[in-house]
Amino acid sequence: MKETTLRNSGPVTACLSSGKGGVGKTSLSVNLAFALAQKGVRVLVVDGDLGLANVDVLLKLQVQSTIRDILDRGADPLEAVVYVEPRLGILPASSGVPDLADLGPDDHQELGSILQSLGDNFDFVLVDTAAGIGSSVLWFNTFVDHNILVLTPDPTAMTDAYALIKVLSRDYHRKSFHLLLNQVKNEAEAKQVYDHLARVASHFLSLDLEYLGGVPHDPAVSKGVRDQVPFIKISPRSKAALAISRYAERLLTWAAQKPANRKTAV
Amino acid sequence: MQKPLCVSALCPYGAEECPLWAETQRLQEECERLRNLSYTDHLTGLFNRRYLKSAIDQEMERTRRTGLPTSLIMIDLDYFKRINDTYGHQAGDEALKWVSQIWRKNLRRIDIPCRYGGEEFAVILPGTRLRAALKAARRLQTALVNSPLELQGRQVALTASFGVDSYTTRDNLTVRSFVKRADHYLLEAKIRGRNQICYQQLETAKPTPEVTMDERSALFGAPALPATEITEPKRASKKG
Repeated sequence: MKETTLRNSGPVTACLSSGKGGVGKTSLSVNLAFALAQKGVRVLVVDGDLGLANVDVLLKLQVQSTIRDILDRGADPLEAVVYVEPRLGILPASSGVPDLADLGPDDHQELGSILQSLGDNFDFVLVDTAAGIGSSVLWFNTFVDHNILVLTPDPTAMTDAYALIKVLSRDYHRKSFHLLLNQVKNEAEAKQVYDHLARVASHFLSLDLEYLGGVPHDPAVSKGVRDQVPFIKISPRSKAALAISRYAERLLTWAAQKPANRKTAV
Repeated sequence: MQKPLCVSALCPYGAEECPLWAETQRLQEECERLRNLSYTDHLTGLFNRRYLKSAIDQEMERTRRTGLPTSLIMIDLDYFKRINDTYGHQAGDEALKWVSQIWRKNLRRIDIPCRYGGEEFAVILPGTRLRAALKAARRLQTALVNSPLELQGRQVALTASFGVDSYTTRDNLTVRSFVKRADHYLLEAKIRGRNQICYQQLETAKPTPEVTMDERSALFGAPALPATEITEPKRASKKG
């Protein structure tokens, strides 16, 4: 078995956020993670939607314990991780627990040290955050090295992504953002939306947004969601799966670089 | 009353009836009594202003650690001077005791009711959001309206004005400025005609909209941002 150890100093950490809900964050996170694992790296997906968890639903997981159990009852984080592939672990969150959606500073600090120690067993940690600009979304975004913003060409998704970028750069000094477009007609449309948003961000926020790519509209995606199987597994030759595989390659190059955003002390 | 385990073991001389031990006990009890006195308002039995300050300080620190807001209700009895002038100062004291007792019955066990001074009161609501704090204030307001005080055979209706505020992790406030902000809403309630509850309205509580109108029009109206205005369009294409 090909075992790639990418870095000796902890995993690459990235989170996928969107501002707006329903743009396909969770589906893209899960499929990116599968693509990375297929390329031989060890990946942990953290379900960062602490109030309305979804990753477990998308993968039809049998959840033993969740982030909540770790924080509240001291459950063992290593035992909470569910392996869906030999190299792919999922750290599930609880669904329908409103008070956990808003963790306090002490809880975040605790969660940070849990993720740090869990991360030692992985090359990549991908956090699928909740929608919105809640305190946990902001915290995850400052915790990770790389910030990926998921959006669709829809104006509300653009505005919400822009608002999140603005808050993170203005209040949390994050400077590097990768845009991942979803449900685009083609690469040209993705590039067009990116160009537009990049121009606005450059003008108003003096930020250079980076382009990660565009995942095309593809029936394989919705079929994957319905069947609770990642589309990259059931339709590996679909347009969406090929795109995701390309972006996973891009993520692999991050492992060689210095973190784009300095990890903030928690 | 629990007896000390073994007096002779604690007394350096092994005496059964050790006078030093008895004195230590007495001093400890005295200390406890004085501690209680030091943070109790003698007239109403509520906490006093000194305790209020240290309790707010502690609850604000808890907010910073846990993320749960601390709420504060500042209250002032309406037209209190009239009671003093009409019925005398003793009646005024009766009124203060009366409302303290009513409010204490209408608060939760975790709430910290204090007499701030004169006819002004403050209630700290630990781990409580603004909505719940407003509910508590309404409860205090209604309870007071429904419980007129009997003075010299006459039913005297009492009302109060309330200022409610919440401290969250987003706020950067000292104890002083938090009390001042809540006091400001109390003043507003007085100005608006008393027997009212004032608080930070949502419109003013909301942070400035994250996306400005200019940014919005740049995002949607493609021509709103002329190419000449663009600073460092490194990755941006000139088209679209």
